[in-house]
This record gives sequence, structure tokens and C-alpha cells, in this order.
Amino acid sequence: MGAPAIAISKVTRQYARGGEVVKALDEFDLEIPEGGYYAIMGPSGSGKSTLLNLVGGLDRPDTGQVQVAGEDLNTFSSGELAEFRANTIGFVFQGFNLLPVLTALQNVELPLLLTPLGAAARRKQALHALELVGLSDRVHHRPRQLSGGQEQRVAIARALATDPQLILADEPTGDLDRESAGSVLELLERLNKEFKKTIVMVTHDPRAADSAGHVVHLDKGKLERIVDNRGEQAKQATDSPPTDAPPTDGEG
Amino acid sequence: MRFPWLLVFKNLGGRPLRTFLTLASLTVAFFLLCTLRSVLDGLEAGIKASASDRLVTQSAVSLFVSLPDSYQSKIRSVPGVDDAIRWQWFGGIYQDPSNFFAQFAVDHDRLLDVYPEIQVDEAGAEEFLRKRTACLVGARLAEQYGFRVGDRIPLQGTIFPRFDGQAWQLDVAGIYRSTSANVDERTVFFRYDYLDETRRANLCGGPQGAGVYVLALDGRSAPEAVSARVDALFRNGPQAVQTTSEAEFQRQFVSMLGGVPIFLSSIGGGVLFAILLAVLNTMLMAGRERTHDFGILKALGFKSGVVFALLLLESIGLCLLGGGTGVLVSVASEKAVGGAISLVLPTYEVSQETQLLAASAALAVGVIAGVLPGWRAMRLEVVDALRAEV
Repeated sequence: MGAPAIAISKVTRQYARGGEVVKALDEFDLEIPEGGYYAIMGPSGSGKSTLLNLVGGLDRPDTGQVQVAGEDLNTFSSGELAEFRANTIGFVFQGFNLLPVLTALQNVELPLLLTPLGAAARRKQALHALELVGLSDRVHHRPRQLSGGQEQRVAIARALATDPQLILADEPTGDLDRESAGSVLELLERLNKEFKKTIVMVTHDPRAADSAGHVVHLDKGKLERIVDNRGEQAKQATDSPPTDAPPTDGEG
Repeated sequence: MRFPWLLVFKNLGGRPLRTFLTLASLTVAFFLLCTLRSVLDGLEAGIKASASDRLVTQSAVSLFVSLPDSYQSKIRSVPGVDDAIRWQWFGGIYQDPSNFFAQFAVDHDRLLDVYPEIQVDEAGAEEFLRKRTACLVGARLAEQYGFRVGDRIPLQGTIFPRFDGQAWQLDVAGIYRSTSANVDERTVFFRYDYLDETRRANLCGGPQGAGVYVLALDGRSAPEAVSARVDALFRNGPQAVQTTSEAEFQRQFVSMLGGVPIFLSSIGGGVLFAILLAVLNTMLMAGRERTHDFGILKALGFKSGVVFALLLLESIGLCLLGGGTGVLVSVASEKAVGGAISLVLPTYEVSQETQLLAASAALAVGVIAGVLPGWRAMRLEVVDALRAEV
């Protein structure tokens, strides 16, 4: 693992909810190294999605600093943040978030419009991304003509299309059956291992968390603990027989 | 960065029924706008195309009071007047009262000199001079009723009824074309001497004298000065006159319609405003429905301006397509509409100016209807937009 891809320092983000101020993140610190695969877990309202939104430049902290790929996001204007997202980050959402009027290929090509690539190169790259996720035979299908698992794989292809350093996934298996979820997790793992992508995934699914290298546990806007899955597995391998039980106390 | 044009087209087709209904509304609205404006243009056409070197002298009392024939030589002697010809409204019925068209008894030997915009072939002009019952028929009227040179047109006199109960018989000497909108092609000109001699022979009823005199100016005096001289000449009678420019004379007929032009303009304005509200409503709905999509686009890195432009261009595209179709329909139906209203409006043309104005109005409606939803979409926070229900 190299230098931190993400460095969050003393970040507080609060919201007014029903006349009450709720601290989604409270003096929060976290570093994620380049090439890391981190799952974020915690109960509802613990600040997981807020954390992902801040790292993704979709939201801004009230106080503190968010650095991604060496850039301090606080110093960016809205337009600069948009450019940063286009160049650096690939998003995978729970609800897939594909544009229903576009085909799978057109959805994957969409972020490539933000690159200097010409039409032919965009098409080639989008087809390559779809091939990578195993959907070469579904390129001209619209989202409603695809299964949930296929939709999510299109979303992953879209996130990959611009070859971003960082992939942020918000509950990527949340709307999927067990089999589809498994194939999506395999894909994310492959992206991390084979293509050295830094992946941050918010999840309630212990199986999903299990596939990550590290699991960050949040509670009430604070960092509770970080579990090194590979380390634990290594430890389990030496101290006790292997187990299928999740290495976290994720509440699902 | 490239603009996601594909989304503009895809979104337009995303709700085909709504898009079709909005396009249909726009088509009807812009067809109506073009039609109303063309009617207004038709009403004004005579005024705009009026010759500046002609004046019209009528009774100071009313247009319906005739002037003595003896005035002709006196008017011709007024400095600045080159010629003066008599015009008399005939008001005859061709077969059925519903077959309405204008007929004028005119000084046949001078008509084509004073009105160079009336174009007739040499044989027709010669026949018009030769035969006492000859007439010249406008090309559009000839087309409508199938009149040909040599045909006989029977007209039942209403203002000038023949005492024998028979119809007046006019022989078609020529079919004329008009090069100017102040003379339409739906009129019959026949010889004043035919009317006058029949009248003098006491073979028909009706007033004596001429309805109006049309004065051709020699160009050496200002038209206003000539008008004043003519009016002064008959100030003490027997019939006081009022001399006006041809444009002013034509304007009298438009003003007889009272508030009709204003009424038509108001309807046009109302139609435009209603369609603006309809398109605005459609675009606001489209913007609301696509809140989630805008969140996705922004999350992917598209700037707020792109989201604004998407809705604006969609609105403009919708309006130009619907408005353009309306304009095309109005042009395609020009002949049919013109024929249907030719009784009251001889000149009906969807001019290029009207087409351009309608296209500009469509563009303006598109811009106005796209700005508000575009501005709302632009201001959406990404996180809020992504949370919006799909």
C-alpha cells in the first residue's frame, strides 16, 4: 500500500433534522491508502453515507479537511469539484442510478463525454468496460431490460470507464439477490487486486464487508474501530480453525 | 468536455405521449398565430400597398353618397392632377347572394393607365376598349368560378336593378393579374359608360353619378396640396368632397371593422401566453421527474450549467419542432384558408415575415419555458437530487 488516497482530518458535518441539529460526523479522522479496499459499516445514521459523500466531493464538511488523491476538496469550487469527480472518482450506487432513457453502452459512455476522447475511442472504451463486467451481449439493452445484477454491473462499468483512481460504492449489493451480490463483490475485489483501484464501499452486508481488505466501523459519527480482514484472517489461520463467520460485528 | 446531446433527444422521446400532446398543442397554437397574423396582414395589405401618386375623392358626407359626373372635368383641371377616373360600386349578384365578389364600373379607357398594377394581355385590353359590355375579371375569381375569356357573366342588379327584371350581361374580355396587394384578383371591372348609358336611358334604377374619383397625380405638386385644392374647388357644392390618399381611403374600410384587428391581436397574444404556460408546465414536470437523473449527471462530474442547458435545449427543441410544424401547416393550408375567407379577405398570404416572426416566438417561448426548470435543476444539490424518488 502506498501514500494515503484519502485523508480525512477532524471532519464535522451536521444537519438540522426536525428542528434538531444532528452530527453525522463528529471530529472524524481516517486515512485510506492508495490501493486499499475499505468497507464502511455502522448502524443507520452513523455517518457512513455522509462520509462517502464528503470523500466523493458531493457534500462539504462544516469543519475539518478532506483530502483525496492529494487534493484538498475544501478549496474547490462547485465546478472544480465536478471536474475532480469526473477525473478521479467512479461512483457505484445502491439503486444502480442508470439513466433509464439510455442503453447500457450509452450509460457507460456518459462519463467519457467529460474526457478529451473522440467518439470512436469513447465507444471502444465503453465496450471494453462492459466486456470487463461480462455484459458484452447486453450493450444495447436499456436498464429496464436488465436484471438488478446486470444493472449494477453496468453501473460498475460506468464507474470504471474513465479509469478513475478511486471507486466509491454506496451499498452496491443492497438491492441484489445473493447470487448477483456475489458476482458484484467478486468484480469489486478483482478491480482492487487486478487493477489496483482504491475502493471505499459503504455496506450493511457482512458478506460484502468480508470481501474488503479493511472494515471501518462507525457509530454516532465517530470512528469506532478499523478491522484488518486480511490480518484477522491471517491471525485466525494461525490461532484457530478458519471460520465462515464475518470478521466484523456488522449489523446488516 | 462534450455536451450530452443524446440526452436532449432521448428525453424528448422518453415520454412519447406527453411529447406528442405538447407538440400538437404547439402546432395548433402556432398555426393559429400565423393565421391570425396573416388575416391582420390581409386587412392591412391594401393600405401598405397603396400608391402614393394617387388620391381618392369621395363625398364629404359619406362614401355612399355619389358625386356628380360633371366633377370629372373640373378635377382634371386642378393643378397637380394628371387624370381622374370614376369608380362606381355595382353590388350585383352572380347566381346566388352567397357568390359575393366586388364589381366596379370604371372609366375603361383610362383604368389601365391609372392602375399600371392591373396587368392584362393586349387582346383583353383591346376587347375591353371595343365592347360596351366587356369586363376584366381577376385571375383568382376566374379560377374560382371557371370564368374564361368570351364567357358571359350575368349579374342581378341590386343597387342598379334593371326594370325589365333581367340580369346585366358582362362579357369577359380579359383575365387580369395584379402586381400589388391594393388591387386584388377577385374583382370584376366593367365599363362605366355601359352603366351610365343604361341609367340615362332609364332602363335601370340606382343613383346618378360616380361613387368616387380616383386621381392620378402628375408628380409636380405635393399630394396634400392637391387634396386641398380639390376639396376647396367643391367647398360650396353642389356636393362637398373629401380627398384623401389611397392609403387613407383603404384604411376607412379597415376601421369599419371596428375593434376586429385589436380583437384578433388579443386572441393571438392570448394563444401565445397560453402555450407558454402549457410548455412551462410540461418542462417543470420534466424537470421534477428527472431530479434523480440530474443528481446522477452531477455526481458523474457534469457541471450545473450542463444540467441547465439540457432542460433549456429540450424546451427550445420542443417549441421549435411544434412551432415549426404549426408554421408549415399554415403555409401548406394557405390556399385552403385563403379560399375559405376570400369573401371577407381577398388577400391572404402567410408571408415570410410572419413565418420568421412565428419561429422567433417559438424560440422565445422555448427559452422562457426552459429557463425556470433549468435554473431549478441547476441549483439542485447532488446529494438531495440523488435522494429524490425515481
